[in-house]
Amino acid sequence: MSDQDQSARRKAAGRRFFAAGLAAASGLLAFAPIAHAEEKVAGSVEANDPLEGFNRGAFKLGMGLDKVLLAPIAHGYMAVTPKPVRERVSSAVYNLGEPNTVINMVLQGKPKRAMRSTTRFIVNSTVGVLGLFDVASKMNLPRRDSDFGQTFGYYGAGPGAYIYVPLMGPLNVRDGVGRALDIATDPVGAVAGGVSTDFGKARLGVTILDVRASADPAFHALKDSSDPYVTVRSAYGQYREAFIRQATGEAEDLPDFDAPPPDASAPAATPNP
Amino acid sequence: MMNTSTTRRGAHAALLAFFGAVAIGAPAMAQQARDPGAEAFVQAKAQRVISVLANKGMSEAQKKQIFHQAVDELADVPRITNFVLGKYARTITPDQRARFAPAFRTYAENVYQDRIDDYKGEVLKVTGSVVRKPGDVIVNTTISGGQISQPLPVAWRVLGGGQTWKVVDVQFKGVWLAITQQQDFVSTIDNAGGNIDVLINQLQKGQAAKGR
Repeated sequence: MSDQDQSARRKAAGRRFFAAGLAAASGLLAFAPIAHAEEKVAGSVEANDPLEGFNRGAFKLGMGLDKVLLAPIAHGYMAVTPKPVRERVSSAVYNLGEPNTVINMVLQGKPKRAMRSTTRFIVNSTVGVLGLFDVASKMNLPRRDSDFGQTFGYYGAGPGAYIYVPLMGPLNVRDGVGRALDIATDPVGAVAGGVSTDFGKARLGVTILDVRASADPAFHALKDSSDPYVTVRSAYGQYREAFIRQATGEAEDLPDFDAPPPDASAPAATPNP
Repeated sequence: MMNTSTTRRGAHAALLAFFGAVAIGAPAMAQQARDPGAEAFVQAKAQRVISVLANKGMSEAQKKQIFHQAVDELADVPRITNFVLGKYARTITPDQRARFAPAFRTYAENVYQDRIDDYKGEVLKVTGSVVRKPGDVIVNTTISGGQISQPLPVAWRVLGGGQTWKVVDVQFKGVWLAITQQQDFVSTIDNAGGNIDVLINQLQKGQAAKGR
């Protein structure tokens, strides 16, 4: 264990303490156990998936529903709209998420990044025609995403148990709570109208379409995997941990490449159902 | 570096006061050493792989053949083959290994050629590197050009030293491909009651079914 790892660990401990405060402040008592969740990082082999049996069922259902529902719609959309148009749509969807990014950068104590994202939102909403064009990126204000899941992770909350929600995809307890807060506190929703309004419905519809179309290469890649459930779980966990490291600036803890993990003495002891 | 860190700490203090919590440090942003040798290796060899796949004047068969050679120059195939077996690398029999290695190689070449093809980038640029420990380096790059609208960050884990380096893993959107592959394979073998042959058969059948 290097000094750097040690110091990162200590700092993570400090942030975890703060996360408890943040969680309590948000009135999320149910969230508290996550703070004590195991400190496994993406690179480690063990997954925190106590509901694996249930999740595998949900995954199968989700993939089935995707096949008959979302995939045809997304493929139709991709067939009739050229890539440059879809990129404009993605930019507009991303732009509406920018105020939520600002909130989380403030919560993470990053005023400069919050200012940059605010400027991005103003510039792209006006000069960029309702966010269709990412003018700000060309003004040296690159995209910097953030959400409540990242904020919790920044203050040391572990991911908690893995959950698969059909049609919503992979989640864990931390990011599920984060996602609910993202929706509840979304400034755009508050100002322009939530999902009960025409704007809200249109926004939700376009967002789902955009997310599914953007994820299409990933769905395609899954066909090559021998256990797609585990591939999704692993990729999602690594993706979210990397997203949180963007906020903490911590170095990634990777497994040693040449030493296979132990416990090979009883590899078949616990085959999954 | 100093200034941002001070600002961040100040902002933390304000935030802490707001929530009534007590103490917290600034995130670790330690300056890490770079490795120019590893960077030069990735710049040359990874760029070659990308250039081959982006070449519009080459037939698919030609690309496949050159990609096969380029993989040997770029990646440490035996080490990766061992890594993706995870804990089963300790228990696999020599006979199984002899069947697994070519099956995995064919599978991985097809899969990763497809993945790289999905993005059709043209230019690879090294943006920095982090020495995890001597001989174990993460080289950060961006891929751009071609059909990529925003530069795509890709990190390469390289092992070696001096003039001899080899890539053992590639990270894309935070996801390490070999680590993900290992979890996929180990789970498949776990679910087969520890029978590695099930995975080998699945890999062979999968690629045969694709007809390539």
